[in-house]
Amino acid sequence: MIAWQDLLVMVLKIALIFGGLINVGALMTLAERKFSAWMQYRIGPNRVGPWGLLQPLADGVKFIFKESLMPDGANKALFRFAPVIAALPAFMTIAVIPFSNDIVIAGKNYGKLAIADLDIGVLFLLAIGGLSVYGVILGGWASNSKFSLMGGLRASAQMISYELTLILTILAVIALSGTLNLAEISDGQATIGTWNIWSQPLGFMLFVIAMFAETNRHPFDFAECEAELVAGFHTEYSAMKFALFFLGEYSAMTVISCLATVLFLGGPSVPFWVDAPWYVGFGAFIAKTSMFLFLFIWVRWTLPRFRFDQLMGLGWKVMLPLALFNLFVTGVFVSLGWNLWAKLGSLI
Amino acid sequence: MANALFYLMALLSVASALGVVLAKNPIQCVLSLLGSFFCLATIYLLAGFQFIAAAQILVYGGAIMVLFLFVIMLLNLGDPGTADKTDARMFSRPNVAAVVVVAALLLGVAVYAVKLSPVVHAAQELPERGIDTVHGLAGEMFGRYLLPFEAVSLLLLATAIAVVVLAKRERSPKRGAKS
Repeated sequence: MIAWQDLLVMVLKIALIFGGLINVGALMTLAERKFSAWMQYRIGPNRVGPWGLLQPLADGVKFIFKESLMPDGANKALFRFAPVIAALPAFMTIAVIPFSNDIVIAGKNYGKLAIADLDIGVLFLLAIGGLSVYGVILGGWASNSKFSLMGGLRASAQMISYELTLILTILAVIALSGTLNLAEISDGQATIGTWNIWSQPLGFMLFVIAMFAETNRHPFDFAECEAELVAGFHTEYSAMKFALFFLGEYSAMTVISCLATVLFLGGPSVPFWVDAPWYVGFGAFIAKTSMFLFLFIWVRWTLPRFRFDQLMGLGWKVMLPLALFNLFVTGVFVSLGWNLWAKLGSLI
Repeated sequence: MANALFYLMALLSVASALGVVLAKNPIQCVLSLLGSFFCLATIYLLAGFQFIAAAQILVYGGAIMVLFLFVIMLLNLGDPGTADKTDARMFSRPNVAAVVVVAALLLGVAVYAVKLSPVVHAAQELPERGIDTVHGLAGEMFGRYLLPFEAVSLLLLATAIAVVVLAKRERSPKRGAKS
């Protein structure tokens, strides 16, 4: 039997993480507009609440009251199902992210702030996260529109190509830390010197680039590509179905930012403060994740979009060989036991 | 609970496997196959093989099925209505009888093979770490079974290269004829 206290702690953790993810998704829509305004010398939304803080709420209400359209000749079941499957993987994968070190309140240890401590955490995240492409493809196909179909096709080609690079860079991190458990990976980077970003600079760069392609964000947002495909795969979507696609995109960005934090930036480890209390570690985790989220917005409003053949060329001819090279070198170092970075880390 | 879930998943996987064959729309076939893979992954999980379940979804669900969908969308198979004419013949009595006989034979062979299989009998003498964890599986795969593992990967590589060569050879005479 599970004691009711444990159950309560579990439910609280789930509510906190899940609620946090949804709220971050909503806040990101505001942040995107605020930062884009800031970068373009505009003011951005400022009518609803102080600094426009209630804008996401107003948008949500608007989405609920909009008419939900069903295009002619659409595959009805799949058209309804696609937004769900686009948003679901992000909600599922957040479960394995460890957000903090062991939570200790009044001398009692409540474990890490994570819903599930899986031994195959990384694999679970990749496997379920890889399914989000179905939402885009099926949404594009079921809409019975050429623009949507083109968006869906591009998204599938793009996400498969860049998933390879993403997985290969993660494999190098796994080889270094010797475990698939995300909590153990972040435990292995307790001091700033042992963060994987120092031993995997190339891997980190490749991961960040592939991260943009995996979440269909600028400069790789070929699934939408509003200049040529109207709005790509979600051209025909309206009301809450469209909002679900939106929420799915921002949630996926949040999850992959959390993953980057755990894999390369030591998760909840605070620089130069090894035995920081758990809430400081949690704050550090949030700060690192926010940094990646800001990067997403920053890049979107700075860089122009690639051409599709350039995207494929970059993916297969540059990133994949580099990722393989990175994995090979990491493998050689690990198998020879040259742990240069651990020595450096012990100095700091 | 676990047993009930197993039977439910087994039933669902068989049902969706039938859907792969019987669905008229190729997209629905692919989605049925995907559903079948998911049910299988759940069964692996119920048996405690986490890694195999994750690999199943990662490889088949995340990559191969996406490629299937991709190709089907590019082919644009159009109206599936033309397939209706063959339906009456498909379910004629001799055909159904043949299918039942073949299925029964296959089932018999499968049951016989499982009964004879060294895997079932060797279950008790598995390594103490087991193969349900990643460490255990890796230890077995890159230790005791390294040679078969490498042989299989070489075979797969050879197949991939052969496919590329075959696909290329068809095109080259046309190019030569043009120039």
